[in-house]
This record gives sequence, C-alpha cells and structure tokens, in this order.
Amino acid sequence: MTKGTKTIKNKELFVGLVFSLIFLVIAGRAVQLHVIQTKWLTAKAESQYNKYLVTCGKRGTIYDANLKELAVSLEVMSIGAFPGRMEDISQNGKKMAKILGLNSKKLTKTLKSGKSFVWVKRKVAPNDVEKIKNLDVKGLEFIPEHNRFYPNMGLAAQVIGFTGTDEKGLEGLEFQYNRELEAASDKFIVTKDALGRRFNSSGSSVTGFSGNDLVLTIDKRIQFIAENALKEASEEFQAVSGTAVVMQPDTGALLAVAHFPEFNPNIFKQYDRNVWRNRAVTDPFEPGSTLKVFLAAAAIESNVCTPNSIFFCENGTYRIGRNKVNDTHPYQWLSLQQIVKFSSNIGAVKVSEITGKKLLYKTLTNFGFGKQTGIDCPGETSGILSNYNTWSSIDTGAISFGQGISVSAVQLLAGVSAIANGGKLVKPYIVKSIISPDGTIVRECGKTKGRQVISPETAEKIKVIMSTVVTDGGTGVNAALSRYTVCGKTGTAQKIDKGGSYSNDQFTASFVGFAPQQHPAVAVLVILDDPKVNHYGGVVAAPAFKQIVHETLNYLNVEPETDSNDETILLAQRIEAKR
Amino acid sequence: MAQARQTTDVITGFDTPLLLSVLFLTGVGIVMIYSASSAIANNTYGNGYFFLRKQTIFSVIGGLVLFLSSMIPYRMYRAFAYILLAVSALLLVFTQIPGYGHAAGGAARWIRIGGFTFQPSEFARLSMIIYLAYSLSKKQERIREFSIGFLPHVIVMMLLAILIMIQPDFGSVVILGILCWIMMFMGGVPIKYLGGALLGLLPLAGLVMMSASYRVERLMSFLDPWKHQTDEGYQIVHSLMAFGSGGFWGKGLGNGHQKLFYLPEPHTDFIFSVIGEELGLWGVLLILTLFFVVIWRGIIIAMRTEDLFGSLLAAGLTIGISLQTCVNMGVAMGLLPTKGLTLPFLSYGGSSLLINMVAVGIIINIGKTRPHGRT
Repeated sequence: MTKGTKTIKNKELFVGLVFSLIFLVIAGRAVQLHVIQTKWLTAKAESQYNKYLVTCGKRGTIYDANLKELAVSLEVMSIGAFPGRMEDISQNGKKMAKILGLNSKKLTKTLKSGKSFVWVKRKVAPNDVEKIKNLDVKGLEFIPEHNRFYPNMGLAAQVIGFTGTDEKGLEGLEFQYNRELEAASDKFIVTKDALGRRFNSSGSSVTGFSGNDLVLTIDKRIQFIAENALKEASEEFQAVSGTAVVMQPDTGALLAVAHFPEFNPNIFKQYDRNVWRNRAVTDPFEPGSTLKVFLAAAAIESNVCTPNSIFFCENGTYRIGRNKVNDTHPYQWLSLQQIVKFSSNIGAVKVSEITGKKLLYKTLTNFGFGKQTGIDCPGETSGILSNYNTWSSIDTGAISFGQGISVSAVQLLAGVSAIANGGKLVKPYIVKSIISPDGTIVRECGKTKGRQVISPETAEKIKVIMSTVVTDGGTGVNAALSRYTVCGKTGTAQKIDKGGSYSNDQFTASFVGFAPQQHPAVAVLVILDDPKVNHYGGVVAAPAFKQIVHETLNYLNVEPETDSNDETILLAQRIEAKR
Repeated sequence: MAQARQTTDVITGFDTPLLLSVLFLTGVGIVMIYSASSAIANNTYGNGYFFLRKQTIFSVIGGLVLFLSSMIPYRMYRAFAYILLAVSALLLVFTQIPGYGHAAGGAARWIRIGGFTFQPSEFARLSMIIYLAYSLSKKQERIREFSIGFLPHVIVMMLLAILIMIQPDFGSVVILGILCWIMMFMGGVPIKYLGGALLGLLPLAGLVMMSASYRVERLMSFLDPWKHQTDEGYQIVHSLMAFGSGGFWGKGLGNGHQKLFYLPEPHTDFIFSVIGEELGLWGVLLILTLFFVVIWRGIIIAMRTEDLFGSLLAAGLTIGISLQTCVNMGVAMGLLPTKGLTLPFLSYGGSSLLINMVAVGIIINIGKTRPHGRT
C-alpha cells in the first residue's frame, strides 16, 4: 500500500467518524425533543388540534295555559367555512355573496384572511341555505343554531319579553326565567385536522340539553281579548298608553296582561325601549277612586260604619286646612255605599276621618299596598305607601280617594281580587308550571295559600257596594253586563305634572272590578294613561272593562246569572235584522 | 502495478448488514409513507393508497436497480465519467425547457418521463461522485498541484452548481458543494486550497442567501421558529411538535396528528417527523442506527478497497447518502434551516429512491470485488 493510499484510508475513516459525531448530535437532539421537551411540545401540539366545541341545546318553549306556543326556539343554519378546503374562493365567494345578500368583496376578503375557520353568515333563512348547499362548495360547514321566535308577534310581548342574539333573556319572563329556559351547553374536546375537520368523534355527541319549558297562566285567547279591547279604547280616547290585566280572583293566576302600545319582540330593537316593560308590574301609578273600595273595607271591617252610614258631602267643596277637596257633582248626604257608587271624594275624606289613618293604613297594607306582590316578573315595583305617622290630614284625605299613594296594576287587581275572593288575598302569578324536556313537571306554581285580609262578611258587603257602581246613577254604568252582575269601581286620578303638582289636564282613567258577583270568575283592571278625548274612568276605561269581561266570561263558558231570555230575544231580533 | 493485481478479482458475497439495513429502511419507508400520506392522498386524489401504491412500485424497481447495479463491475464507470457528466448537464438544462420540465412550488427541478417525474439534480450528484472518484484517483501523482488536483474539479462542480442554481435548488447545490469538498479532501487535495475555497465561498454563499427573500426568511425562521410559527417557521414548529408529542414510545403507527394537514410534506421532506411522532424516540433511534450501519459499511468497504477509484467511489457514494440523511434530519429537528431535501430510502419519491439504490448497488459491487489473495 502506498503512502498516498494510506492517507486516503485514514481520511475516509476520519470522515466516517465526523458523520458518526453528527449522528450523535442528532440522537442527542432526539432525546431533547422526545424526552426533555415532550411535555411542552405535546401541550403546544394539543392546543393546535384539540378544539373546544360548545354545543347548545334548545331553549325552552313558553306556552300559554292551553299549551299554545308563545315563544319558541327554531333551528336555523349558520354557514361557516374552512377556506383551506375551499376551491376557487373568489368565484365561490361571489356566488355565495349574491345568494346571501352580502358584500362580495368583503366576503372574499374574509375567506382569504388566512384563518382556518370563518363565518360566512349566521342564522340564514332555510331557502338560502338550500341554495348555498346546491352550489356544492367544498369547505362549507352548516352549523345548526337556534333562533328565538315569537309566533304571535306582539301578543303578551311585555310579559314574555325577549332574548338577545345569543338567546339570553333580556326582558320579561325570558329574563326572569332565563336559568330555567336556558339550554345547557356542553363543552367538549374534539380533535380536528388542520382543515378543521373532525376526525376523532369518539365519546362526544353533539346533542345538547334543552332548557325547561314554561307554561303560563296567560290564556292566549283572553290575552287577545284584553289586548283588542285595550287597543280600541286607547285609540278611541287617544291615550298615551294603556294596561289591562285579567286575573283569576281565587288563585291569583293572571289570565292576560295587555299593554298598549304593543311591540313585536321578533324585532324588538326597532321599538322604543319604553314599550318593552311589563308596566302592569313595573310602573306605579296613583290609582284614584278605585282605592275607595279599600277605604270602605277599612271602615266596615273595623265596625266604624255600615254601608248605610251616611255622611254629609258639603255640597261639592270641602276645606281641609288650606286645601280644598271638590266633587265632580255636588252632594249633600250620601251613605257609604253611595259615596262609592257616585265616587264622592268629599264623602271618602269624611269616611277616612272617622276611620282614622292608622286603620286605613293597616287595611291598605293588609291588602298588599306598599309591598311587592312577589309576582314572578322582573322589576316589580312596590308602589308608594308612606307610613301613616307621616300623614297629614290632607294626606289621609287624599289617600282615601287614591291620590298621594301609588300602586302597580297587579297590586291593585290583587287587592280587588281579595274582595271578590271572600276577603282572601292570594299572590298573583304568571307561570303555572315548569316542565322539563322529557315532560316531567319540575315545578308547579301558584299553590300559595291565601291570606284573609278582611272577613268574608265585610267582603260580601263591599261586593254589594261595588255592584251598585254599575247600576243606574253609578259612575260605572258603562261596565254593566246584561247577563252577569258586575262589581266594579271607576278611577280617575290626576297625574303629577312635571312641576310636581297635580295636573288639571292629565289623568289616569281606570276601571277595576270582577264578575259574576256570586262566584267571581275574573277580575279585570283597565288603565288608560293620559286619554285626551275624555278622562273619566267610567267613560274611558269602563267600556273596555265590559268588553273584556263579557268576552272572557263567554269564552270561559261561565254560566250567566240573570235569565237569558231577554238576551235570546235580543239575539233573535238581531239575526232577523241582519236578514 | 495496482492494475495488474486487480484484473484477477474474486467475487465475494453481498455486504449483508448494508443490504439488510437498506431494505429495512425502504420497508419502513413504505409503511411510514402510507401512514403519513393517506389523509393527504385521500383529500387530493380521493384515494388513500395513492402514494403507498406508487412508492411500492418504486421500491420494487429500486430493488431491481440495486441488484443490477451490484452486478455491474464498478470499474466500468470510469469510462463513462465524462459522458455521465454531460448527460447530467443536459438533463439539468432540460428542466428549464417548457414541455419537458416540470415545475412545482416555484422551482423547475423535474423532468417528466412517461408518467413519472425525475429529478436530474440527484442524477447529477451521482455523476459528480463518479467523476471525482475517477479524476482524483487518476491524478494522484500530481494531486497537490493547484491546476491539476483542485481547479478542474472545482470548475466542473461550479458548472453543475450553476445549472442547479437556475432551477433554483440551493439545497442541492450546498449538498453538492460539501460533497465535492469532502471528496477532494479524502482524495488528497491540499487543505490550503480547500480551506481557501471555503473562505472564498462563504461570502458567495452569503450573497446567494440574500439574493432570494425566501432564503432569508427561512434562515430567520430557523433561528426562532416559534416567533414565526404562523408563516416561515410553520413547518419547523409543527415538525418539533411532532417529535415532542411522540414521547418515548410514540403515539403508535397511524396515530399521528401532524400529518393531518398541519405538517406540510409529511411523506416527503418531513417523513422523519412523522416517524418521531408515531414511533417515538425508539423509532428515531432505530432509524439512526440503521443509517449508522449504512455509513459504516460504506466507509469500511471504502477503506478495504485497494483500488483508489473504488475506494473513493464507495466513500463518495456513502457520504452522499449520509449528507442527505444528516441534512434532512437536521432540518426536521430544527438544527438546520429548512431545505427541500428528502430522507434517503424513507421519503416518498422515485428518483431519490432509485438514485440511492444505484448508489448502494455500486457500493455493494465495490465491496464484493476483492483483489486476488485478500479477503
């Protein structure tokens, strides 16, 4: 072997050793990556291909008392895209934008943004979804979502409320019962490839958990009756707003809660937020003369007087210190019954004077004024009833005819219902039951025991007094029904103007009552806020009250008390006339 | 005098460790290519077996080629050294002619033959090794002279390098350069010239580096891949994740995640990462051991061969394979900047596999050609 050959062999050996050394470095790097950095790198890797997927079940349905749908969640499709899988993005983007009514440039830009997933459009109409599906574009994902829908539009909208885009309750029962209605969302890990496709579906299902359904005491039909009557009256008398509430007196179940003006919860954003509220619960108002029935209850229950005790009504003007109390019509001597029937303010003041503010206050608080009823609606007002210690004599007088005190519609109607109910006050409620998706009853509501606030005898006496209100000469004749005896009371309250004093041209007109007298099936309150054409409760609110009671009793098939012969003849004549 | 002895060669058997290692690596390659490519193949061709099928065909052809080239007496190549160089240059030119060439990813590195594409730079590397082995052994007497031992080889290398650079394929040029350098070093070219060449080439290499923006970006991403993980560092970051999440035992064959469109080219340039993820550290070390066997059998054959041409040829071919292996692994593990280089025997790709099979066949032939009287 030559010297040259030998050096060449040595150099070959040397090169082999160098490569062995490089291999050692690679092996060392492998140990570093596989063993030392494995935790860190594994976490990094998993964060890439493990995606957290949140699936949400269906939000509970809100039903009326007869299981008619008031609020439902409908499945809608949202269209997402994995641009990495999409071919010819510009062309497809253009086509999709056209169908979906999107800006084509914007969509193409979104698709080309380099993100692994983008939304094309959320909550797409079903026929548009079909069109997009027909395009057969690769990389599109159709993701079911839910959209809240109110099939009856404005019906009971203020009671039901609405949800936001993420299906969270924002107003009304949707808000109050959000936790019950809300669908459970399930978060789980899915392993996805870089194009966003799931390749490991083991152990995870996409079915979410639906929320519980609500069954309301609201009857869609009665609600419609109330809304209809309220709307007609509000428009006729040009009221700024109106509220009508229908309650079952013996249970406190609200059969209807109507508001004017109405709004469509499906597009709630297009309405002024002031109309969203369930004002029957949230807004206090000065009740006016309707409060006289509670004054009468205080006087009779405490044996201060009887319905026939008479009071001098000062011929229409009565001074209390520096203040003057006026009656619309001057009266001389009126019995307690007549004071209510004719709605004499002076008479009411006289009654309150002999009853005393302490007893009046006690009776009013007993009937639930000044306190929340505890109804299951959000934002309930307690009204304002200050302690009797702070009342001056004019305060006492004013409260006796319903000024200087504020109540909520539901509060007032609950109080009147107590009279209808033999003196037993029950808590008003609006959700009858909560039902789980599998049909079992989660909670049954409205089983609260009533509280006796006045004796049944007193209640009976008040009922008789109230029944005279709708008889000839009473303020509430417009509320009288031919086949049922109606008990009621008008209310015409001066509103407080911006200056803080009582206005002479802004009124709250109301009528509250129940029927039939013997076994009251419904108690109804109609309030019209600031009517322009006329402001007397007996003129403005009583006809609407009558209409609601009449139609509701018909609908409920309540047996008429009076002989129906006259009615039948009348009906026969009407049919004849039509021919 | 050496000539006289070599005429009476005895033919001994195949170098078994080398042959088994190569065949085993090729087998592992088929399995790993299937695992790495099935998702991509399904997505692109609607057929998960697409790459598996092709690679299996290549492997069978590769086996035949290995066998055939081990049968051809290696000394025959001496006569063809210049012809092979010329053919290489021609093929390289062909890549740039539309209609013959096949471009992919902005580079025209392939020519289309029938249904297959062929990468001439691989062939050029083989030709260069044969030429250098022939030239260096022939010029042994005056190897230390600049104009004889150094300059001609550098000129030939530069010519090929320029042709490859046009494609452009900087990675192959670097490999070719290093390969020539090592072969000249082994062949006895004085260190002063080689060192000087290195010093002279460094600024040139730097210039080439800076001439294309993607090369700079690649280098930057190599220095801090996590900072560039959404763009230039993307490949390397996902490759590192593949190794790291494999742990010691790996996720199991077929259970890797990075090949699912996270890691680009999982069946070609980054097959080693897929092995790291699915087979874990032990798999990586097994592959390293097999390559270690290939290198050392090659070096041992080179050292045992009396014939200088055979010795240099065996060493050159071995180093060609080793270089490619080390660079590919180094890139996959983030030790080197990203280069589009395949891993011999394991990566998907016909021309790479066939050329390497030819190389192994030649080494085996050199190994079994023993001068008379020696074993």
